[in-house]
Amino acid sequence: MSLNDAVRGDSARGFSLMRAVQSSAAGDRTAIARLTLAVLVLVSILSLALSIATGASDASAINVIGALFSGAEETALSLRDRIIVVDIRMPRALLGFLIGAALAMSGAVMQGLFRNPLADPGLVGISSGSALGAVLMIVLGASLPAGLMLTLGAFALPLAAFIGGLLTTLLLYRIATRGGQTSVATMLLAGIAIAALAGAVTGILIYIADDKQLRDITFWSLGSLSGMTWAKLFAAGPIILLALLVVPFLSRGLNAITLGEAAAFHMGVKVQRLKYIAVVAVAGAVGASVAVSGGIGFVGIVVPHLLRIVIGPDHRYLLPASALFGGVLMLGADMLARTIVAPAELPIGIITALAGAPFFLWVLLRDRARNGW
Amino acid sequence: MITAKNLTVALSGKTIVHGVSLTAKAGELTAIVGPNGSGKTTTMKALAGELPSKGDVTINGHAVGALEPWQLAVKRAVLPQAAAIAFPFTVREIVRMGLTVGPNRHAERIDAITSEALAAVDLSGFAGRFYQELSGGEQQRVQLARVLSQIWDPVLDGEPCFLMLDEPVSALDIRHQLTIMRLARRYCESGGGVIAVMHDLNLTAMFADHMVMMKSGRIARAGAPAEVMTDDAMEAVFGCRMRINSVPASGLPFVLPHTALA
Repeated sequence: MSLNDAVRGDSARGFSLMRAVQSSAAGDRTAIARLTLAVLVLVSILSLALSIATGASDASAINVIGALFSGAEETALSLRDRIIVVDIRMPRALLGFLIGAALAMSGAVMQGLFRNPLADPGLVGISSGSALGAVLMIVLGASLPAGLMLTLGAFALPLAAFIGGLLTTLLLYRIATRGGQTSVATMLLAGIAIAALAGAVTGILIYIADDKQLRDITFWSLGSLSGMTWAKLFAAGPIILLALLVVPFLSRGLNAITLGEAAAFHMGVKVQRLKYIAVVAVAGAVGASVAVSGGIGFVGIVVPHLLRIVIGPDHRYLLPASALFGGVLMLGADMLARTIVAPAELPIGIITALAGAPFFLWVLLRDRARNGW
Repeated sequence: MITAKNLTVALSGKTIVHGVSLTAKAGELTAIVGPNGSGKTTTMKALAGELPSKGDVTINGHAVGALEPWQLAVKRAVLPQAAAIAFPFTVREIVRMGLTVGPNRHAERIDAITSEALAAVDLSGFAGRFYQELSGGEQQRVQLARVLSQIWDPVLDGEPCFLMLDEPVSALDIRHQLTIMRLARRYCESGGGVIAVMHDLNLTAMFADHMVMMKSGRIARAGAPAEVMTDDAMEAVFGCRMRINSVPASGLPFVLPHTALA
């Protein structure tokens, strides 16, 4: 039983869920898409709760939350638990979820925009540009006027990463687009060049960095959700949330662009405006994520790809489902990262790369077989 | 009615279309023919509002350049030449995309029109198939069903709608060539208009009311097929000395490649 059979209406081999879906017309995946969304909302809530409830310490989230609401007197023990649950686990879970959502949805948007299932903010150099912005801020931030740094506060790093990501995306777009047509091949190759350039400049910065900055950069670049605070959540969260809220309005346009930019225009889409909004939203979401967690790869490729197999490529469902599924996967990877080598923890970027890179290769090989080369 | 007055289009500094003026009336099938590279597709793209151009292009009296994309989208729909799709959409999902603008974007109308549009291009029962797995000719007909559903009502709010088809039968077998050309004719008879870029002169002569023959970005001949298709035009426009004959009963012109004189 494959989903394709279900979609085609092959009832002989369908199991009950698929039969329910088939009652709608053949080729219409609306029902299964809605069902998937509902399941993902539930799983998201569960994984957020699980992520807050579990950890290296035996602190009981239920007791703490109970105490918070009942206003019970704080004993020494409950204060320790309270710090662990409220100040360590909660911002980490919420921010982790948001970052996963941002990366997965950005992947889906880029893939729709460039009409290529392999386009990903990491692969086309946007993450590298964001990283360069962030490293610039870590190394050279100290030499900026103190007043400016004080005003920016926790926003300095996300802002720098956002600007780095935005400039990279605009440059990339500029290079790959001529006469209103975006060449995917040029974009991917330009992405490699831009990533190399950003990597080289980052290398120079690492060379001139002092020991403390070097440590900061190294841990940051491995990609990790450790050290998440409410301050970081308030700095990066609003940018990510804004992007998550804006992007679903692009669904219809992104669907139309699948048929080509000219066809999208024929169907009534303001293509240029759509592209601008999409690019800024992706740069914002990726920049803010990279700033707080470093480079966490492959979420943007794996999540939309798996979802397309189940619910199809319709962006009205794909975008919100990617956000939810990305958040869930990120929390799952984080729980693994925290428990495999407990009480220490692995950088989460290592886990997503370990799982994501072979997946990426599998997609390439499968497409190669399908296209016969 | 779609009109172009003194239309000039330049792409990357090279002028492709030089001062073309033409009129496509509602109720008529207007065919644009001509050798490769004569500017047929570019002319059609300019008429669709897709390319920046000099000169005046109007649709039902509105300047095309002044209309927003969604306003244009309910007045004309465009069938492009073959397009590859990177994502696994089903046929139904593709056709439904045409129904995201205009008066028919209500759930109950969408399913009905999708089925009817697929039936019109002889693809009933294909709704659940994946677009990427279809043959080139079937894909072309799916796209046509999408385009048709976008302006399903040939007359909307008293204004005729226009189908703009770029080589609509290029990938089709002879039965489906006739199916699609009859479909275009029916659209005209219901009050809409059709502009088609064509290569098959005989099919064009059979179905077109108005034939525009282009050469090197200019209009070489225009008029009813019987007036335009002459031995002289074949040589002057296509660079091919061929003999035009006519079907005895209807008097429609036809040309056989066998008559090409060395």
